[in-house]
Amino acid sequence: MANQEPPFLVDGETMSIFRSRGIDQQQLESNIESTLAHIHNSIPGPPVSADAHLCILPDSDGGGGVDRVSGLPDALLRDIVSRLPIKDAARTAALSRRWRPIWLSAPLVLADTHLLPAGRDRIPKHVDLAESSAVAAAVSRILAAHPGPFRCIRLACSHMDDGHARVARWLHHLAVKGVHELYLINRQWPFSPTTRHMPATMFSMASLTRLYLGFWRFPDTAGLLRGAAFPHLRELGLCSVVIENSDIDFVLARSPVLKFLCLQGHMHPRLNLRLVSQSLRCVQIHWSDVETIDVVDAPCLERLILCGHWKKKCKGTRIKIGHAPALHLLGYFEPEDHALCIGNTTIKAGTLVNESAMAPSVKILALQVRFGVRNDAKMLPSVFRCFPNVERLHIHSKRTDEPIGKLNFKFWQEAGAIECVKSHISLLIFQDFRGEKSELAFLKFFIESAKMLKNLVIMCAKGCFKSKAEMKSKLQTLVAAKKASKCCLPQVYESAIPEGGCSWNFQIWSDFSHADPFAYPAKF
Amino acid sequence: MASAGSGDEKAAAAAMITLISSDNEKFEVTEATATLSQTIRHMIEDGCTDGGVPLPNVTSKILARVIEYCKKHATAAAGEEGSSSSFSDAAFLEVDRAFLEELEEFDDAFLEVDRATLFDLILAANYLDIKGLLNLTCQKVADSVKGKTPEQIREMYNIVNDLTPEEEAEIRRETQWAFE
Repeated sequence: MANQEPPFLVDGETMSIFRSRGIDQQQLESNIESTLAHIHNSIPGPPVSADAHLCILPDSDGGGGVDRVSGLPDALLRDIVSRLPIKDAARTAALSRRWRPIWLSAPLVLADTHLLPAGRDRIPKHVDLAESSAVAAAVSRILAAHPGPFRCIRLACSHMDDGHARVARWLHHLAVKGVHELYLINRQWPFSPTTRHMPATMFSMASLTRLYLGFWRFPDTAGLLRGAAFPHLRELGLCSVVIENSDIDFVLARSPVLKFLCLQGHMHPRLNLRLVSQSLRCVQIHWSDVETIDVVDAPCLERLILCGHWKKKCKGTRIKIGHAPALHLLGYFEPEDHALCIGNTTIKAGTLVNESAMAPSVKILALQVRFGVRNDAKMLPSVFRCFPNVERLHIHSKRTDEPIGKLNFKFWQEAGAIECVKSHISLLIFQDFRGEKSELAFLKFFIESAKMLKNLVIMCAKGCFKSKAEMKSKLQTLVAAKKASKCCLPQVYESAIPEGGCSWNFQIWSDFSHADPFAYPAKF
Repeated sequence: MASAGSGDEKAAAAAMITLISSDNEKFEVTEATATLSQTIRHMIEDGCTDGGVPLPNVTSKILARVIEYCKKHATAAAGEEGSSSSFSDAAFLEVDRAFLEELEEFDDAFLEVDRATLFDLILAANYLDIKGLLNLTCQKVADSVKGKTPEQIREMYNIVNDLTPEEEAEIRRETQWAFE
């Protein structure tokens, strides 16, 4: 019965914000679940897992009754203890005198999902109030008892607004004893003006390297001391956090080694993001309401990734690329929702793109295009011309309910030579192909022009074609087309995910060991 | 820069090092394999490996296992370096991933050892400062403890409970949340 309680309390203010975006109460409920699932998927997994992957330990003769484990040096016992879920870790203190001081002297690793009766790794959608307070009480005792340092604290199971003073005490312990990684995921929409800001104690956590906040009102930075800073912060994630432009500017300015920034489900207020950072390498913005993303001065920025947006009444986003000489990957640009501005030039259909309006460093480009809408597709030649050195192109073909003025092959022929298509693109992955004429017109143009093409992968929309024969007949024009490169026939597959789905994965997209994270997990 | 460096690396990879176990058995390994051990790497850097590296804390039985681990992982490290430089060559990535999977399988199989061997491996990995092997073996011990009561753990590892009943009760009271 307790499980029936709503996971989130929704007040009138919050409801009105959602209503203005065309979302009703019922959708809000399902939004909560999907937002939590998104957050769970965006943040790194807990550093210790409740699962025991390597648990079977073949026994010999029992070692003749010798206690080998207690004979290990302290440093190794601490290492072993800090690999345990919190309850298992603390219980080792009761093994013997040798073990008693170990847990308290090992760096603390605490994921509060391990304090729930089920004790699993995943952040649960529902936590009833009794469980939530039990978890919060245990967290209070742990943070008070353990002298630190705290290697990783991951709290996502309590309703933190119910105990604002308690959270303030937690943060105080974390700041004083030294925390490296902190995940603080609240369980209440933070949009009501009566919601309190989270305590500014956070800015005294000088040892932080990774910080993820969820469902908070960000501390007001206006009155903060000049010394407030995150000197070691490398990774920052803000999930449905209410934060003002000036506060983001403040955090960027005070985080000299910040490399990864993620906004996830940012809804309020509408942001004008100004990226000024000497250290940022990767910025990701998912399902967020952002008016402009202005890459003002980001000499190390390599990846700028936008994905998803709050549907219905959301207005579009303006992407402005200023000083970003290292920008290597950009996606998913959507002509429907995004405006593109490079240098001082706003890119429109037919814009004459000169050098000042080009971003020559971009090698990987991802687009979402409604080929059935003339104005969308007409943007493409200009967009391609802005990125003359693109080598890997990813296109999601978006369905439109009311096609407006499709473009035919003649349009593409008349568009003239496009540098990146002609001379650089070696891979095109075309997702959600449905065999529409406007899609085929583009593809035909593409393979007739792309001299460097090595791999052309067409992913058909799931369930779109009834048979292979139907699929083949749709692709006949491409097979017959006069190919510019000696390449290969197109490789054709059926997509495994439903149409319009995007297999996004924050961790993969931020992972620089994947040279082209948009291709993951395919191997091209 | 890359071409100048790779020649040196090749020369270094071909250099052999002799490791001598506590029971005086000699093992010839490549420098790439040996330098997975930070301890040995420092010895090589200090130029004190002529005539072999005596490892008085490691028996030949354990040293053979440690070398098996290092050989496998040294090949993996070489593969990684190769692929990161050739960004656009997709074939490399594919090979890479298959290799990582194979490596994981190797690690799992490698840990199919009895407890005495496991603790010897931990101590050897600690002494030789081989991070990957230490991670792997400590994780194995941690996993074996998960979800078990103190009584079960004591029994599994022959740990003698020398706490007085009062002390034990106090610990349980202090961390009551861990016993619920």
